[in-house]
Amino acid sequence: MKRRIVITGAGVTSALGYSRQELFQSLLDGKSAVKERPDWIEKMQTTKMAIASAVELPQEVAKSISRHHRRSMGPAALYATLAAQNALKEANASSELLTSGRTGCIASSTLGSSSETYEAAAALVNKVFYDLSACHFFRIVSHSSAFNIANYFGINGIQLAPCSACASSLQSIGLAYEQILLGKQDAFIAGGSDETAPVVIESFRLLHALAEEPNVPIQQLSRPFDAKRCGLVCGDGAGMLFIETLEHAQARGAQPLAEIIGYATNCTGAQISQSDHVSIERCMQLALEDAGLSPQDIDYVSAHATSTVAGDREEAIAIANVFGGDVPVSSLKGQLGHTLGASGALELSVVIEMMKHGVILPNFNLETPSEECATLNLPTAPLKKPIRTVLKNCIAFGGVNAALIIRRI
Amino acid sequence: MNRDKIIQLINKIFVDKFELDSQDLTPEKKIFEDLELDSLDIVDLITGLQHTFQIPLRDNKDLLQIRTLQDVYDLVEKIIAEHPEVIEKLEK
Repeated sequence: MKRRIVITGAGVTSALGYSRQELFQSLLDGKSAVKERPDWIEKMQTTKMAIASAVELPQEVAKSISRHHRRSMGPAALYATLAAQNALKEANASSELLTSGRTGCIASSTLGSSSETYEAAAALVNKVFYDLSACHFFRIVSHSSAFNIANYFGINGIQLAPCSACASSLQSIGLAYEQILLGKQDAFIAGGSDETAPVVIESFRLLHALAEEPNVPIQQLSRPFDAKRCGLVCGDGAGMLFIETLEHAQARGAQPLAEIIGYATNCTGAQISQSDHVSIERCMQLALEDAGLSPQDIDYVSAHATSTVAGDREEAIAIANVFGGDVPVSSLKGQLGHTLGASGALELSVVIEMMKHGVILPNFNLETPSEECATLNLPTAPLKKPIRTVLKNCIAFGGVNAALIIRRI
Repeated sequence: MNRDKIIQLINKIFVDKFELDSQDLTPEKKIFEDLELDSLDIVDLITGLQHTFQIPLRDNKDLLQIRTLQDVYDLVEKIIAEHPEVIEKLEK
């Protein structure tokens, strides 16, 4: 019989709050994280539009992590560590548990640190090596969040970092779920983070994936599934979950928030810059199969939908093919922007609050769905509904898909 | 460059790079035990000293003898004295 895997802690670092409760409330209140960043404009090279939904961490929050630990963290690792701290606190994970060798850490992001990678490259090109710290390497390597979290909390089990751009954190959670099912560990802190910066915005702009409409108010730029969508708004943050078997949680008196019952990941094998509806559909079906569920068992689909023309279209077609048009579908990116590698775990944390409150958060900025999205049930206002089972999608560069199914306990 | 200026510049490195309070930077302080630097910090300290004073330091064997802040002041002063061209550069 399959072991039951539960989430007992969920922490976030976001532009709309440093707890999932605060983030959920901000989203429910209709707040948008999208802001102009005039401080970034001089670093932009091809555009003067510096718009992002980025975390602006107060110094006192950052400094709650000691310098010795913080010096090896870029923003992405710092956000992940703060989110992990909240998750571990909520899960009441003791030091004995974390240092038992039976607890692992899986955390990932697009790059270890986009901003620090840029700084390192600039220092090397300009031959100003004194600008580089001894810890610079530790900030930019791809598993930076994973080892920084492990090192900070003394976690000494398995450490992994399945970096896959915008599917990173959902793959981390899925991998943790699989590792526990295999009996490799009793528990994991798992999730991911990302950071946005001028270099990130420029990269999306180069690929024509950035929302740029000078005449549209900036908080209306990100509009998943809408006919007028024109690209994404870059965001960042972190989401980290504490995951363990149900027996393990019960034995130590931890309160489960939700159960992970299915997971799948795959790729197109044909495209690097986007996924396609055929592989997304297959991924969701594999997750349903893993959970032993039918499409009608799903009460809500938390979509990846980033507000790009092709990405939303392919996901919408796949969702319609699997679920038809009844199940409510929404993307949080109209308010949060695209938090990149953080999005899976960050949005899943919000889904936990949606389940608790029986409220589906809407598709912010959606006015008229585009033709290929119009067959979906896309709420445009908070929808009160008992939510028992949810499927969460993530889709990434590299043609990567991931789908995770959680159930209320 | 006088000794007070050297101390001021060295202390600035400790404040900027290691987030130490300037009040705590007294000459008798032990680098590892009192100021809690470690081997990775020493790499940054050497880089900072090289950049600030424009002196070659990375392969200087006297570095191994450094224990206190006073030792850092003395070493930098000694190297500057051995390299008059450095003083000219710094004064520019």
